[in-house]
Amino acid sequence: MNELRPWLALIMTKRARLTIGALLIAATFFSAIGLLALSGWFISATGVTAMLWAAGQRVAFDVYVPGGGIRFFALTRTVARYTERIYNHNTVLGLLADLRSTHFSALARLDGATLSRLRAAQWLNRLTADIDTLDTLYLRLLAPPAVALFGVLLVCGVIALFHLALGVLLGMALLILLCALTFGMAAWAMRLSAARVEQLDQLRTLSIEQLQGLAELTAAGTLARHQAQLLQASHSMLDDQLKLQLRVALGQALATTGVLICVLIGFFGALWVAEQGVLSGPVAVLITLALLALGEGLAPLPGAFAQYGATRAAAARLNQQVALSSQLPEPTAPHPVPGDLTLNWEAVDVEHAGIANLDLALPAGTSLAIIGPSGCGKSTLAQLAARLIDPDAGTVRIGETALNQLTLQDWRAQVGYLTQQTELLHVSIAANLLLAAPDTTDAQLWHVLEMVELADMVERLPARLDTWVGESGQQLSGGEGRRLALARVLLKDSPVVILDEPFNGLDKATAERVRRNIEPWLTGRTVLLLGHAPELLPRADRTLTWSELQS
Amino acid sequence: MVVAGLVNALAFICLAGLLALVIYRTVIDGQALSAQIGPAIGLIGAVIVRSISQVAQERFGQLASARVRQLVRSELLEQWAARGPVNLAGRSSATLANHWVEQVEALDGYFARYLPQQWLALLVPLSILAVVFWLDWLAALFLLIAAPLIPLFMALIGMSAERLSQQHVLEAGRLAGHFLDRVRSLTTLQLFGQVAQASADVTHTAEQYRAVTMRTLRVAFLSSAVLEFFASVAIAVVAMYIGFGLLGYIDFGPAPQLTLFSGLFILLLAPEFFQPLRNLAQHYHDRAAALGAADALVGLPPTEHGYPLRRRALSAGPRTNSVIAEHLKAGYPGRSAVLEDVSLSIDRGEVVALVGPSGSGKSTLLSCLAGFIQPEAGDVTLFGQAPGAEPVAWLGQKPFLIKGSWVDNLRLIAPDAELSAMHAALEAVGLKDVVAAQPQGLDTPLGEGGRGLSGGQAQRLALARVWLIDAELVLLDEPTASLDPESEAEVIEALLALARSGRTILIATHHPAIVAIANRTLRLHAGILADE
Repeated sequence: MNELRPWLALIMTKRARLTIGALLIAATFFSAIGLLALSGWFISATGVTAMLWAAGQRVAFDVYVPGGGIRFFALTRTVARYTERIYNHNTVLGLLADLRSTHFSALARLDGATLSRLRAAQWLNRLTADIDTLDTLYLRLLAPPAVALFGVLLVCGVIALFHLALGVLLGMALLILLCALTFGMAAWAMRLSAARVEQLDQLRTLSIEQLQGLAELTAAGTLARHQAQLLQASHSMLDDQLKLQLRVALGQALATTGVLICVLIGFFGALWVAEQGVLSGPVAVLITLALLALGEGLAPLPGAFAQYGATRAAAARLNQQVALSSQLPEPTAPHPVPGDLTLNWEAVDVEHAGIANLDLALPAGTSLAIIGPSGCGKSTLAQLAARLIDPDAGTVRIGETALNQLTLQDWRAQVGYLTQQTELLHVSIAANLLLAAPDTTDAQLWHVLEMVELADMVERLPARLDTWVGESGQQLSGGEGRRLALARVLLKDSPVVILDEPFNGLDKATAERVRRNIEPWLTGRTVLLLGHAPELLPRADRTLTWSELQS
Repeated sequence: MVVAGLVNALAFICLAGLLALVIYRTVIDGQALSAQIGPAIGLIGAVIVRSISQVAQERFGQLASARVRQLVRSELLEQWAARGPVNLAGRSSATLANHWVEQVEALDGYFARYLPQQWLALLVPLSILAVVFWLDWLAALFLLIAAPLIPLFMALIGMSAERLSQQHVLEAGRLAGHFLDRVRSLTTLQLFGQVAQASADVTHTAEQYRAVTMRTLRVAFLSSAVLEFFASVAIAVVAMYIGFGLLGYIDFGPAPQLTLFSGLFILLLAPEFFQPLRNLAQHYHDRAAALGAADALVGLPPTEHGYPLRRRALSAGPRTNSVIAEHLKAGYPGRSAVLEDVSLSIDRGEVVALVGPSGSGKSTLLSCLAGFIQPEAGDVTLFGQAPGAEPVAWLGQKPFLIKGSWVDNLRLIAPDAELSAMHAALEAVGLKDVVAAQPQGLDTPLGEGGRGLSGGQAQRLALARVWLIDAELVLLDEPTASLDPESEAEVIEALLALARSGRTILIATHHPAIVAIANRTLRLHAGILADE
């Protein structure tokens, strides 16, 4: 329960809407009970009256009040159901907005190292799935049992008015049933439903392994064994799922059987009481049908509560992520950005990248290229300089000031950093560029696009600057996306520039043209260039290889 | 499963009939309650049958769905294998894995619930209608009129919902992806100081998403409202008709023959008449989810990046002493052939370097020999056998390493390898000291993609597998291309040891040091092979 507390608190900020939503669900449910019970009573009462008339007795029977009641319930049931669904989905989508913005703000505080640990697509998808799970918390786990509880209390209360003992007996029986279908079901299915996400993750990992190693596995003739292993994993996942589904099916059968047994108890009980003359035959029918209609409210509970374990696990994962804190403390008394923009890495250690006691200086207004293979750790230097991460030991300085004495915002405003991985937003080309400088004229946008040799291509697009970039830049080729990201850095026009493998994915001729275009722009700035080979980078005042740097 | 569903419905019909009978006997006939033992036993029996048949119905559906999903998974694995590594290279493994895991799971509801419910939605109302018809044909007529109207109205509403949702599908898709997109690009947003703006955007977009979605939902929910309306109205009409009939206000048709028994019986059956249709409507989204998934699953285009692999019946011809390719022609659809007419013969134990500019077809030739792609023309035999008949060692530019221990990584390719053999293989590639320095020896975990190892160490670890699977033919595709000079030297050292071990080796490379190891160098230029 503790895992869900923060999310319940968030949901409860919409208390008024939630109450109205629950009332609407209740109205739907009670109309269904009312419709069936009243119809049953009406038919029985007419039957009894007809019998009396046939016996020659003159008894009055008002057909209009119950008839009106039946029509009323038929109408309210329809209207309440429609209104309820619209209203509650509106509420849930509102909650989704809250959940997402809460979570986004939590993530946005994180530093580069923590974020890169989290970046795997798998994690991201799980994040959205987890949030989706939580946003249905109310519609599945909160409102339905509450409404079912009120239904039970109402129906049994009415029965108790006619006959106290019968009402109390049925009330007790139904409350026990309700507990079994909610708490009991949740506990019984907890382990199986909580384990499912992990099982799916494991399947995904195994299948990705097979795909990535398809060449080696095929060649070595071990593919069949790996396939069998994968199918075995899938089989055991399905086995566990079948176990869970069996429990749900048994829970649902318990709901049906429990309600029907209560119907029979109520039925024979009421007829027995009627025999004593305490209540009339038609009322006995009303009681029976009201109990029967309760089934509609209880039926969905086992299925929803079987997923409680999964919901709790989702909440626990999200809590973990919200609890991650940034490793980048902001200074209490921030210094201003110094005039001298000389960068100094002083005896820095970054354990996860294997960097130990590294010293490096980049004098203001000069350029430095560092050459090394992908993944060797040279990007870590750039991340240190942009303060996406802090070193485990040592200091990064700008002029005489340690970077952690500046506010993140002040410092990052000085740095234009083209990261190794191209990150484009799923918005228009113009909007992607405008991230760097929100108040830019179209003329300036075209200018930077010309510098990266993209102007002609964009000109040919039907919507030109307003063309949407696909998710992660998929509608642009790798090289075009790279150049758009580069253009964005150019537009920022910052005194410190870091380019990490800037010409990745560009063909030679284009890379050469772009290089010629941006070299004059780089002159006079403090520039850090990272790449595989010097010929893949703009000209630098000084060039170091990664192995030279480490020794 | 459909049978269980029908039994379930029949049990309810009995239940309703017996309830109506007992009420009729006690209230109208004035019989004593103690005389109703027979129907009471029948009622209990009906409850038991209904419970059991309900579990059976669910269970059969679940089992069938699990079977189908396992079958689809196995089918997909076969497809991957049939396409081979080269043809699949153009597709993201994350996407394919998502198909294999999530999209296949999305088929569950359709097979477990929707499909059988489709039959039940027809059969159950029909059997109830038959009973009601026998009781009172006029009441049956009310139900009959209401029932076909429901699918009709739902179809109408469904069509307009479809139009609406098509209109909004692009917009809604963009909005829904917005959050994921912003999270993915957090580093960029931080670097450009746009985090606060992005937070506001996320909130705003979720609001917009709500507006767009609600517009569609308003129409979509109309269909369930229509169903609810007809069900309610039908119950109300039946109740009124029976009530007035019992009072003798209706002289028309069968009404005068109504009794409290038949009246109550009909009333109890009326909601059950609509229940299967309502269930079907509830499971409708299962169908939509499954259709979406099926689109993705069928969507492996047949020949996107090459010709599909047709595994020949593996001929167990006589063993020979050479690897032979004759008049190979190979390429990819929509492009001119990469290999024009390539013939080669490599003797057992030879080390051959394959050189040539990038794009000249070196990888294609290696892929043909490994059996990853099917040549358009020509023949390949490896020591007299067809490619794929016997294990071949393969090593590409980037080693294939998984998140797991050293042992896991070695066993992946050589599942039966002994620990002693692993130590020997690691020694052969010069990793003995590295392993000795690991805290848990061979059980030390490696990061994903070999994180924690240098490029050269990772490549040598992959090379150690060659020793373990004891393949006669070793195919290497630019094994040192993405390495720095130091790692390169280490890998070349390990390759030398491999060459000395008497294996037959073909290496595509640019590297002079590797060419120097080779007995012979073949040059590939524009699809034509020449000795050097």
